Amino acid sequence: MASPFGAQTQQAGLNIVVLDPAHGGTDPGARGTGGIRESEIVLDFAIQVRRALELQGFQVVQTRQGNEDPSFDDRSATANAQRGAVFVTLHISSTGLPGTARVYVNSDLPPVADSNGLIPWDRAQAPFLGLSKKFGDLVQGFLFQRFKGSPEAAQTASVRQLRTTAAPAIAVEISSVTVENRADLDRMAPGVADAIARGVAAFKPSYVVASTSGAPR
Amino acid sequence: MTPHWKFWVIGGLLVAVLAAAIYFPILRRRVKRAARLQQQSEEQARRELAQPIAINPGDPRVKTKLFWASDTIDSTLVPVTVELPLSSDPVVRSKQVLNTLLAGPVDTELRTLPPDALLLAFYLLPDGTAIADFSEALATSVPSGIVSEQLAVNSIARTLEANVPQVQRLKILIHGQEMETLAGHLDLTGAFVVNTKAAQAPVKPASTP
Repeated sequence: MASPFGAQTQQAGLNIVVLDPAHGGTDPGARGTGGIRESEIVLDFAIQVRRALELQGFQVVQTRQGNEDPSFDDRSATANAQRGAVFVTLHISSTGLPGTARVYVNSDLPPVADSNGLIPWDRAQAPFLGLSKKFGDLVQGFLFQRFKGSPEAAQTASVRQLRTTAAPAIAVEISSVTVENRADLDRMAPGVADAIARGVAAFKPSYVVASTSGAPR
Repeated sequence: MTPHWKFWVIGGLLVAVLAAAIYFPILRRRVKRAARLQQQSEEQARRELAQPIAINPGDPRVKTKLFWASDTIDSTLVPVTVELPLSSDPVVRSKQVLNTLLAGPVDTELRTLPPDALLLAFYLLPDGTAIADFSEALATSVPSGIVSEQLAVNSIARTLEANVPQVQRLKILIHGQEMETLAGHLDLTGAFVVNTKAAQAPVKPASTP
């Protein structure tokens, strides 16, 4: 259980973005036939996304800077320790139409029944699902404008990384490691970075947590 | 006497090195073959244990919906209707439809599950929660990624939903073990809601696939 010190009235707006380049270390993630490794590409994408967000005036915290592989819980803990943050986990898929990008938000989770203001760690995302969907739709909208063939709205999926994150949280997955030339993916990075930064900026006015909210336990 | 002794020792060593040079590659080939045979026999044993439930031609033929990947819309599922003789017992029926799903469509490009994946066991609890235990190949051979992992789980869940109304939730195990994710992305710690109308009882942490 977390201490009740985490439970207090918040009026904080969005000012921090926690960026999560997925995988790393001994886990390369998706691998393409041309030797493309998801864990390396998402780290490069994160650099560009970070730059675009900082230009918009946001503070960026990364879950990993190099070739490490923090656990799912460690990555969530990085986000859960922030106040007024959103969480974006970056992925490259093994399949799907190359050159497209999809945003995922967590599927429905059972409602948090605790009346003590504390959020169970394993369902930390539950109170944020509505905000996550709004945030995801905004980012997906900008990706749709940039990358033909991408969906118009965010999809739902049981993404493990999102479940324990107590903040509006999305997964952005770029297709795919199957491209013959890594440059094809690299060319997408500025557009992805711009779409995420614009999505965060557009979401900012919606993110005012006025009710009491507890720290995940 | 000494020079002769040295000559025989050096000669003996040379013969030993020569013999080793000839024998070691043979030994290596034998070890590799033995390892391969062991691997094959383990796989064979697994397949024998997980013999697919045979379709009984005496069972009534029913229209069965199987969900495979769409060939026109990227990363989506479409139902394919086939007529199969299916058991009325929900567990046997579930095994029959899942084994047909695992066998895959005619066009292998539209597969959602790896060709080497097997259904090892299937249970149905009184509350409508199905437990499907798949071989490791489901986790190791499915393409890593949110979209591909979700397509795999959705094809299982939607095929069960369409053909076995008794199944309300689905818990996936890999080789008898609960896994955190399927292949690094999709959460397998909870049960997936299969029948959204019927599955109202809370189960930790249920997710809509």
